[in-house]
Amino acid sequence: MELQGRVAVITGGTRGIGRAIAEGFLADGASVVINGRSAEKGAQAVKEMNGGDRVHFVQGDIKSREGCQAIIDAAIAKYGKIDIMVNNAGGATGHAPVIDLEDWAMEDSLKWNFWSTFWCTQMALRDMVPRGWGRIINVSSLEGKHGKPGVSIYVTAKHAINGFTKSCAQEIGTTGVTINCICPGAIETDIMRDEGPAAAASMGLTYQGLLDWFASEAAIKRLNTCEEVAAVASLLASEAGAGITGSMISVDGGTAAY
Amino acid sequence: MGKLDGKVAAITGSTRSIGRAIAEAYLREGAKVVINGRSAEKGAAAMKEMGGGPNLAYFAGDARNQKDCEGIVDFTVEKFGKLDIMVLNSGGVENTAPVAMMTDEEWMMEVTWNLHSVFWGMRKSLQHMIPREAGRIIVTSSVEGKLGKPGIPGYAATKHAVLGLMKSAAREVGTLGITVNAILPGIIETDIVRETGPDSAIAMGVAGYDELIAMFCAESAIKRPNKVEEVAEVAVLLARDVAAGITGTSFPVDGGTMPY
Repeated sequence: MELQGRVAVITGGTRGIGRAIAEGFLADGASVVINGRSAEKGAQAVKEMNGGDRVHFVQGDIKSREGCQAIIDAAIAKYGKIDIMVNNAGGATGHAPVIDLEDWAMEDSLKWNFWSTFWCTQMALRDMVPRGWGRIINVSSLEGKHGKPGVSIYVTAKHAINGFTKSCAQEIGTTGVTINCICPGAIETDIMRDEGPAAAASMGLTYQGLLDWFASEAAIKRLNTCEEVAAVASLLASEAGAGITGSMISVDGGTAAY
Repeated sequence: MGKLDGKVAAITGSTRSIGRAIAEAYLREGAKVVINGRSAEKGAAAMKEMGGGPNLAYFAGDARNQKDCEGIVDFTVEKFGKLDIMVLNSGGVENTAPVAMMTDEEWMMEVTWNLHSVFWGMRKSLQHMIPREAGRIIVTSSVEGKLGKPGIPGYAATKHAVLGLMKSAAREVGTLGITVNAILPGIIETDIVRETGPDSAIAMGVAGYDELIAMFCAESAIKRPNKVEEVAEVAVLLARDVAAGITGTSFPVDGGTMPY
């Protein structure tokens, strides 16, 4: 029970990667606050996770500071503190090659991926730093290190998260709080199924062609799984994770060059 | 229930320090473990301190010797029936000198200990793992696998080189159920660092051992050395079944030192 007594907040934790991370933390003894836009999906997730009073759903949209604040406030109201903040919610819509890209798509992606990470990190740090213990885990992407055509809104936001993480790590290094990124390769989550076809079209591919492309670039020639990401998140959240900060951990089956 | 129940691991250079911490973590998680080192005396001491038991064996061997690097694989298979996890951990700074002053003999010693040993151990392990289509290879590189410091060119060069070897091998066996990864620890006050640190300090142009440690700490975000346990838990993660999708990765455990 490595995380006994810990409180974790996972944005976008009702499905996919966030859900797997939440279940991993729950299994290790933590109380988890999951978040999502849909109350219905939230209720379903809470029921499926079957964690009793150690699972709490907060409905909310992380695309605004107020939305993030409401999630943080609700977590503290419920469990009294935040030990582990997982900035997992993310995605992008309105993909197009840069030459045709509309401002709203870039703005939306930055809010969804990057600003939300900044806001929740800042708010969580204000609870963690005075207590001298904390873990910030940012779910970045392979696309936080590499770039693919047609999806610059996503690639830009994920790169920004990586830079933000490195800088923040240097600021808080001696406070007992770590901040790291996990950079997963492609995983066929619900959000990938929702947003993938449009991203593929922007690259001139079919959805299956997009998945095949990601798999072909990997050494393992397959997509990754949510559980593979969750195992790394559990490590980073543990006591042994104290010596790991400012890192960009690849969970991409051998795709990223660095 | 351990995370590595039923697995068999071998760890080079594991009677003390990082390798020892990995061995202890693997034992705790239910694996059978072969530890290794040059000194039979230290091996016996380690066996005793670790409680012996049927899940632990010691193989006396020097990582600078090809026969020993390959022999640990044969020994492990003979002892425990297979090899699931190979941790190529042995290494260190043998010779300190600026490039301009380093002799061929000194250079070869660095390359043999830190690079050849990894190649020999990896090749032999893969020959066992590939037909079984299962395995985990974990290489202990270093923060010096991405950075470089004056006076330890052999160490920095070989710790970079093992990352290239790791990446190539990961691509070769990616679809065979075998992963190949590296862990890159920051400075840790291990026995080997205490032994070789004073020489390294002089070669790097700092006053002494304490100043050497302080220099590494200053470059990190956490402003302290790392701990062997921090490395060991990453080694546990990479050895697990759930880590099947993590390969070709350089995993830093350096308190925020490396820029990439």
